[in-house]
Amino acid sequence: MNRVIPISLVVTLAASAILPMQPALSHHSFAMFDRTKEVTLAGTVKSFEWTNPHSWLQLVVRDARGATKEYSIEMGSPNTMSRSGWRKTSFKAGDRVTVKINPMRDGSAGGAFVSAVNAEGKTLPLQ
Amino acid sequence: MLSKTKIAAIVLVSSLAALPVQAQMPDWTGVWTLVGGTLYDRTTADPPDARAGDPGARQHPPYKPEWEEKYKRNIAAVAADRFPDPITMCGVPVGFPRVMQVVDGYEFVNTPKQTWILTENGPNVVRVYTDGREHLSDDLIWPTYTGDSVGHWEGDTLVFTTIGLRGENGTIIDRTGAIISDQARGLTRLRKREDGMMEAQITIEDPVALTRPWTVTKTYRKLPGDVRIMDYACAENNRNPVDPVTGKTYTLGPDGKPIDMDAQNK
Repeated sequence: MNRVIPISLVVTLAASAILPMQPALSHHSFAMFDRTKEVTLAGTVKSFEWTNPHSWLQLVVRDARGATKEYSIEMGSPNTMSRSGWRKTSFKAGDRVTVKINPMRDGSAGGAFVSAVNAEGKTLPLQ
Repeated sequence: MLSKTKIAAIVLVSSLAALPVQAQMPDWTGVWTLVGGTLYDRTTADPPDARAGDPGARQHPPYKPEWEEKYKRNIAAVAADRFPDPITMCGVPVGFPRVMQVVDGYEFVNTPKQTWILTENGPNVVRVYTDGREHLSDDLIWPTYTGDSVGHWEGDTLVFTTIGLRGENGTIIDRTGAIISDQARGLTRLRKREDGMMEAQITIEDPVALTRPWTVTKTYRKLPGDVRIMDYACAENNRNPVDPVTGKTYTLGPDGKPIDMDAQNK
């Protein structure tokens, strides 16, 4: 198993960050996510699952050596996300986006969504 | 024999007599959302900004020593991601009083003989009979997640009691691991405040687990605009299944296989 953290990751400590949209992780434990850390991933959208109980962004991140890794990024449910302006078209396959996540504690390729900007640097969701 | 005119008059008077009952009920229409997160008793949250589910996060219910120890064991299990929270199993109701503090939308529906508290998340229903009936009799009632609720109106405040809870075997108050016994009884005062917020003041009396009544106030704000309640079911595309043996929550990739390192290394 490749445990090398991609060079493109920027880890920042965010002790009391104000989060634009925390996923409503009501239905399961979120002990797997490290809420004290934020990781920034620059990548390409593979797919966006607009579903209950959570929406999922599949993001392909390429490191400096050209190797790619697919991240599973957990978001909220469509009801709450839609009230914050999200649509199932907010992420489209092939979109270049930069996403902040609370990473999984065990270093696996996933995390809880914090925020995202598109290739033009505009915060998603576009209103 | 009554004439048709007299019958019509009686029907009309009867209808009018029924009207004031409905007119007296407060207008709680709209979609509401919980304020302040899902840690149940925020006045005793420890640390004060704790979210339910944070490792070590807790509150301070007035537990008897034995129940304080049970709670501490649950807190440790939450921190280790080994807490058997029933709602992670998809399809299990969150139960009372947790049903009063879930995320997503709430509707509070008043009808002449019942009030329904509907949660978008879950979904869950608290059905409160206000037609004067008593709780389920001793030869009918059994331990359930949401319990049995009956109440009455005191002005614009709905006052209801809830009994028949599952207790340790399923009544989880929040993800800090707080629990109460099957002898717990809820007294809820639900009203719309003058500032437009809905407020539920919930007192839990539990002679088994608590040293004194435990009162917590939850508030809800009205979502602006014409908000639509949407379908929510945890079983729809659950990529966070819980290992029924260990209680560990896994994270699945889009192919349905765990992405967790320890699952891959098994």
